[in-house]
Parts: sequence; C-alpha cells; structure tokens
Amino acid sequence: MLTYLSRTTLAASTALAVIAGAAAANPYAEYEGTTLVVNFPAHPHYDAVMQILPEFTKETGIEVEVDQLPYLKMRERQTLELAQEEGEYDLIGYVVFSKADYVYADQLENLAKYFMNPKLANPAYDPADLIDGYVYNIGFAGGDRGYLAGKTGSLFGLPYGSETSVLGYRKDIFEKHGLEVPETYDEMLALACKIPELEPGMGGLSSRAASGHHAAHAFLLHLNPLGGAIFDEEWTPVMNNAEGVQAAEALKTIVDCGPEGASTFGFGEALGAFLNGDTAMFLDTSIVAGQIDNPDKSKVVGKVGWAMHPMGTKRASQTGGFGIGIPANAEHKDAAFLLMQWLTSKEGDKMVALAGGNPSRFSTHADADVNAKFPHMATFGEALKHADPDWRPIIPVWGKINADLGTTLSKVLTEDLDIQEALDGVAQRATVIMDEAGYNTWK
Amino acid sequence: MKGQILNRMTPYFFMAPAGIIMAIALIYPLGYMMYGSLLDWNPSQSIGEAEFVGLKNYVTLFYDPAFRESLGVTLTFAFFVVIAEMIIGVGLALLLDRNIRGMSVLRTLFILPMMIAPVVVGLMWRYMYHPSIGIFNRGLDAVGLEKVDWLGQNALLSVILADIWQWTPFIFILSLAALQSLPQSALEASRIDGATGWQQIIYIKLPMMLPILIVTALLRLIDAFKVLEVILVMTEGGPGLSTEILALRISRTATEFRELGVAAAMSNYLLILLMILTVSMFAFTRWQERRATRLAAAIQEDA
Repeated sequence: MLTYLSRTTLAASTALAVIAGAAAANPYAEYEGTTLVVNFPAHPHYDAVMQILPEFTKETGIEVEVDQLPYLKMRERQTLELAQEEGEYDLIGYVVFSKADYVYADQLENLAKYFMNPKLANPAYDPADLIDGYVYNIGFAGGDRGYLAGKTGSLFGLPYGSETSVLGYRKDIFEKHGLEVPETYDEMLALACKIPELEPGMGGLSSRAASGHHAAHAFLLHLNPLGGAIFDEEWTPVMNNAEGVQAAEALKTIVDCGPEGASTFGFGEALGAFLNGDTAMFLDTSIVAGQIDNPDKSKVVGKVGWAMHPMGTKRASQTGGFGIGIPANAEHKDAAFLLMQWLTSKEGDKMVALAGGNPSRFSTHADADVNAKFPHMATFGEALKHADPDWRPIIPVWGKINADLGTTLSKVLTEDLDIQEALDGVAQRATVIMDEAGYNTWK
Repeated sequence: MKGQILNRMTPYFFMAPAGIIMAIALIYPLGYMMYGSLLDWNPSQSIGEAEFVGLKNYVTLFYDPAFRESLGVTLTFAFFVVIAEMIIGVGLALLLDRNIRGMSVLRTLFILPMMIAPVVVGLMWRYMYHPSIGIFNRGLDAVGLEKVDWLGQNALLSVILADIWQWTPFIFILSLAALQSLPQSALEASRIDGATGWQQIIYIKLPMMLPILIVTALLRLIDAFKVLEVILVMTEGGPGLSTEILALRISRTATEFRELGVAAAMSNYLLILLMILTVSMFAFTRWQERRATRLAAAIQEDA
C-alpha cells in the first residue's frame, strides 16, 4: 500500500514537475503564434539582425515581420506612425537623436513595468553587462540634463546597433616609416600632416567634412576629448570657448592635410578614401570594421590596425547609433519586450556579433569566439569604456543647432571663415534657439 | 418660375463635380498648409495639438539670415539655369531643325538626360566631379591643367552645370516643336525677299516662337525653384549654405529641425514668389499681344 502510495505520489509529483518545468522552460508559450511587426534601419548591424531573427522564431514561436528603411526615411515614417492612436509597429529601432523627440512626446514605453514583470523579465539577463555609455546615451531619459543618467531618469530603450569612435590606421604605412600609433591628439595631428610628406599623394586622416550633419559630427568627435562641450551646466552655449576653437582647428588641420577634396566628403567618401588606400588613418565609427576586411569593398584588407580614439585632455569617444524601444501605441507590447530582451541578451548579442553586428555588451567584446572571428573586438571593447554618453546634447532643438554648426564649420573649411568668429555666430544663434525653447526659464 | 430657377442652376450643377474635386485636391491641402504656417508645430504633434502663433513664423523667417541666403541661392540658381538652358536649348533646336540623316536618333539622344531619375543624375555628377577619381579632374590632369575643386570652391557653378545638362533637352524639344509648327508661308516670303538665315531667325522665327518660349521658360523657372534631389545628392546644400536652395531648406526644416510650421511658412513664401513670377510673365505676354494687335491695326489703317 505504502509502495503504491509512494509510487502514485512520485508519479504525480513527476507529472507536476514536468508541467511546471515545461511552463518554466517556455516563458514564450503564451505568445506563440503572435506576429510582431518591427521597424529597423537599413544598417550593417540590422542586416546582421535579419540573419538571427529566424532563430528567435524557432525558439519562441513568435513570428517577426521586419520593415527595414534607410534611417532618415525610417525616422520620418516613425514620426507619423508613433503619432497615430494605434500604431503599426510593435518594436522600433530608433536613431539616438530621436530619443528626445519620442520620449518627450510620450511615444515610447517606459521599460520599468516590463523588467518588473516576473513572467517577462529573464533573471539571467544581466543588465550590468550592457555598455554603460550606450545605455545612458540611447536608452535613458529624464535623468541629469533631461537626457542622461541620473536619479530622476528611467529606461525607455536598449542600445542595439550602437557605435563608438575608434582610430583605424594602415599598419603597412606605419611600419614602413617607423611611425608610432598616436595616443594623443597632438601626436595624431602631427602625423596627419606628416604622412602626406612621407607618402606623396596620400592623405593623413580621412574625416567627414561636408556641410551640415557631417561637419558637425566631425567637430564633435574632437570637441569632448579636447575638453570642450556644446553647453555648460546652465545650458549656455560654450562651443566657442578656447576648447571649441581648438576642436575646430583640429578638424581644419585634418581636412587640410587630408586627401584631395576632403572638405566636401560625407561619411561615404571619407570611408571610401580609406578603403581605397588614399589615406593612412580613419577616425570615425566602429561600424566600418566589417567593410574594411571585405575584399569586395576594400583595397586595404589585412592592412588596418585599430586603436582607441586618441586622448586630448581626456578620453571621450563617440556614442551614437541605434537603440530599440516599444512604441506606446504598439499592439503586442509584451511579446515585443520578449524580442527586445532576447536580442540584447548575452546569447543574442553574441549571435548578432558573430553575424557581423555591433555588440551592446562588454562580455561579447571579450568573448573568445567573437574575438577569434573579429580580432579588433577587444580594442573596441576597451574604447567603449571611454564612450561618452554626453557626446552631444540629445534635446529636441539639437537638430537645428547641429545643422547650423555643420553649415558654419563647412564655411570655415571651404571659405576660410575665421574660426572664432564662426563659432561665436553659432553660439549666438544657439542662445536664441535655446531661449525660445525655454531653456532659460529658470535662469 | 421653378423651371427658370432650374435653368439658371443647370450650369452650376454641371460645374459642381469639377468644383468639388478642386476643393478637395487643391484648396484643402493649400488651406491646410496656410493654417499650418501659423502654428508652432512639430511632427510628433497632431495639427490640433500645435500652438497657434499667428504670423510669427513669417516674421522670424524674414529676419533669418540663413533663409535669406537660401533665397538668394535659389534666385541665382534659377536665373542662371533658365537663361543658359534657354540659349542652348533654342540654339540647338535652330541647328537641328532640318532634314538630315539620322536626325530622329539624334533627337532621341538629346532628350535622354531629362529621362534619367534625378537621384541618378545627382550621383553621376557627384562622381564626375570627384576630386581625384572624377572624370573632369582626371581629364584636366591628363592635359596638364590644374585640377578644380568642383563641389568645394565652385559648388553652385557645378550644380548649375548639372542642371543645364539635365534640363536643356526640355527647352530643346519644346523649341523644336514650336519651330516645326511655324507657318512656312512667312519663311518662304522672307526667303523670296532675300532674308539671310540670321535675319530669318531674328525677325521671323524667334518672334513667332516667343509665346511658346515664354511658357517654356516659365515652366523651367517654376521647376528650377523646386529642384531638390539632384542638389541633395550632389552637395546636400553645402559647402556652408552655398547650394542650399529653398526646396532643400524646406525639406530640412521639416525633417531635421522638425519645425513643420516654419517649413509651411517657407513654402508659402516660395509660392508667393512663383505666383508673382507667373503673373508678371503672363502680364508681359498679354501686353505684347495687345501691342502686336495695336500695331497690326495701325498697319491696316495706314494701308
């Protein structure tokens, strides 16, 4: 009898354990068969994401339909979509400067309630492993200055396809002339102008410089490491102080010692010049590493080494790129969170890195398999420790100030406009814009 | 009585469908834009949420140096492209208005540029202007001349050249059609009177083509004010604001600066400018026609 009882209990408890085990093992069961519609940018990272999405569907039973658009088109589309009562998208990839607009208009879900939900949040997620600079730059809002980390802030998105700045250099050229990889700005600028003398016909460092966004981006690359900033603590524009002038001078030196026609280079031309072997250095986003080693696109395969963004008064590399968030008007928010969590989990991040994407975690940068396939990943991981989340102000009026900064700097580069005068003009116009936008209300 | 009213109303009934379509397709969007230009409106808001600011956008723009510079660039660009295209287009038409072998092939070849998508034209010229790999600089280098910084120091000129290349065929094809429809009797009479080729062109062909040429120039002018893609691809408005024509500034204001109200006000300024140009061109034609009629009447009286 006892045996019978114990057998029955054993069987029952085994059955229960199996059921409970099944439930625990498959938190996705409730969402099986759901189809998520997501909006991603056309970008090398998201091309890699496309390769791993079938794995997500296989694992979870959740289907994903992707609408991939060029990022400026994507932004326009999202602006329209997010303003609707019921949106088409369950998850969006957004460019970093959209964060301010979307959060301010209450169009992105605060992620707290998802991470608090035990049925949704995976305890093994390990948020501490996510790269700090990326998380605060792309996902956080409401903290210090409204767009940074801080006690009043919270999380609205997760970094995904984010990037930082690194220095690419031609190992062969450096070896040939016995040059040291530059550690500081002074060394880098000196080298940028020395290389055209050593290698006639070759530019020192290729940089973006075209009017508008490109020139502003290139200036920002130098501004923070050289100790400058766009605004001071009280939102007064200070890009025209001594450090700002120094950053613009650095940009001008780089362009003047750069390849032919450098003053009109957009990102494509700047990268193209480096891929074509026309310059010995390239200081820009880490996203290009894949292309540099692709023989279809590059004449410098195997000749490029990577180093950290040189130091000025401090190390401060770029933070930019994309994040993912759940629109407030999404239909399947919980399932969208599950996808978001899966993509940015340790496993998902490694998978996307191996497929050629830009990882969002420190552990992925240090991972042996990832480093075996992409040896530059360790340097990138080191650079990320210095990624500056306050690389540029992410406020709604930034677009306008950025455009003015970019067009004015372009005049400096092409029309020899005096740097101090040019930056004073930008600061003056920015003051008016900030005043109109209400940043002086409490002064 | 009832029949009379019905009779009087009939034309309005017939006009009603056209009127309704006009109202929906033209007046509604135009009104929407007019109203939008009076708002402080960003794309994340619906039009109802935007704050009404009256004429503030218009006043701000009026004093905005960037807008003024952009307006100046637009006027310079439009002026030079239309003049150059008219001269080359009409000149080509006068040259090719004859029966030579293979003329139809030649004509088709001439109009090819305007059939190419503007983005492709932009990319093509951007690469032709490329400082080191572009065909122009390589050509200059090959014959020992100094290279030119096309899209840097000479950006506006480069953009104008590309537009002339693309849109001269439009003037050419319309001028050719105008030439071929001229009454042969006048030309024959002038030949009998011993007019030379140049005299025929100056005193007969051009004056007779003038009404068509004016409409053609007007169409080109309107288009030149709105050109966007080619410049966007070639220079993105730079360096500085040197090639930032109004259409590009409007597009940037709406998408980059996210100021829909200001963009709408800018579009209205552009609309007003085009209206002034169109009305004055038509007034000029009307004045010319009247003058011609008066002259004809005077000649008849003299006779």
